[in-house]
Amino acid sequence: MTDRTTTLTAEDLEKELAAYLSEKTKTEVGPADDVFASGLVSSMFAMQLVVHLESTYDVAIIGPELKIDNFRTAQVMAALVLRLSDEAGDA
Amino acid sequence: MPETAVLDDRALIGDLIGDRAEEWDLTGELPVGLLRDLGARGLLCAEVPEAFGGLGLDSRESGELTAYVGSLCSSTRSIMTSHGMAAWMVSRFGDRAQRKGYLTELTSGQLAAVGFSEPGAGSDLGAMRTEIRRDGDDVVVTGEKKWVTGARYADQLMILGRMGEAGGVVAVPVTAPGVELVPISTPVLGCRAAGHWHVRLNEVRLPADHLLGGGGQDLSMLFTTALAYGRISVAWGCTGIVRACLRAATEHAREREQFGKPIGEHQLVARHLADLLVAEQVATRVCEHASAAWQSFSPDMVIATVLAKHVSAGHAADAAATAVQVLGSAGATDGHVVARAYRDAKLMELIEGSNEICQLILAGHALSQPQGTRS
Repeated sequence: MTDRTTTLTAEDLEKELAAYLSEKTKTEVGPADDVFASGLVSSMFAMQLVVHLESTYDVAIIGPELKIDNFRTAQVMAALVLRLSDEAGDA
Repeated sequence: MPETAVLDDRALIGDLIGDRAEEWDLTGELPVGLLRDLGARGLLCAEVPEAFGGLGLDSRESGELTAYVGSLCSSTRSIMTSHGMAAWMVSRFGDRAQRKGYLTELTSGQLAAVGFSEPGAGSDLGAMRTEIRRDGDDVVVTGEKKWVTGARYADQLMILGRMGEAGGVVAVPVTAPGVELVPISTPVLGCRAAGHWHVRLNEVRLPADHLLGGGGQDLSMLFTTALAYGRISVAWGCTGIVRACLRAATEHAREREQFGKPIGEHQLVARHLADLLVAEQVATRVCEHASAAWQSFSPDMVIATVLAKHVSAGHAADAAATAVQVLGSAGATDGHVVARAYRDAKLMELIEGSNEICQLILAGHALSQPQGTRS
């Protein structure tokens, strides 16, 4: 799965995550749409997003990364995944 | 982990607890040496990876172990739930050094409890008052926590509090200046030996590395994540209660004779036994379903866990009432396995999300599903 993140661009990731959010919320969600502000989802869903990102992209989301702001939009989630993948690669 | 090792663990737990649960229920206290022994063997948080001194069990193996302890003694199982939740919080929220440090302690005989509820805040996180404040190289905790399972025996308290708009979890040693443990003097309804005490935190000042992951996490995410472990643990523990009730009722119905035959052959009693068997199967399957979601990192794990907790707790409460009915006066003395089950199971319908809170979550899930699906 690490191979996937190294070949995926931010744009690919954003599209993939927007599609995932659309599927889960049964609503058309664009890359920059804030699913928490729109009331589409609750904090219960945030934990599912954590699990989804960790299992799909082989990253560990811990400590201060665990805040709603990291999961609001497909764009910020994509940035989080890329950042955590880079950090894991550097370690 | 090999199957035989799990069987060895069960045999060991069976020996350690044996038939002493009744005595512990009556005196309202667990032998702390037993808890430290279980902890040092990694049995109180069995999912912690072996690299940190744990057993590295998967969710289902750990669940079956929890159910086994729950079938013997729900007070000990409550300690397992709290201690396991503390370890899970360290794994999820802690940084690398904290994970290594605390998880090693929690598999070495040190005991941990978790502080959520407050005088004015149960399910309503918005009402939480406990404050965690950074002050230079220190962190300062002030507040009050109620009904902290295992606080009586704990070395460390994982305290959830607010940090401005966000939240945090601080590992507070009970020996830290400003920590006050307040016993509940009246015997509690269930899990009487689980050491539920109140905790007061009066400007407790600690080095900042006691704040898991540096704090500042989302309060509701902290709460939901921590509770997910508590809920699946309680769910399996309730399955254990149902198993104990099934066993006690069938043994009694086989041996006790009235009107010239074992009471299990009287149809109205037989129906109770069928109900107990159904309860045991349903509770087991719903827990297995939730554990499978944990093991596959499925996005459905949160809802599957709430479902398992709600279904298992309800079946445990019903099964306990049924078992008391079948045993009659034989099970109606305090401390008896079915009498304990009756009190313990009722408590399980209140904690880690009451029946009503679970129903609200499940109803919300049902409403969020598009028409024509049933996932």
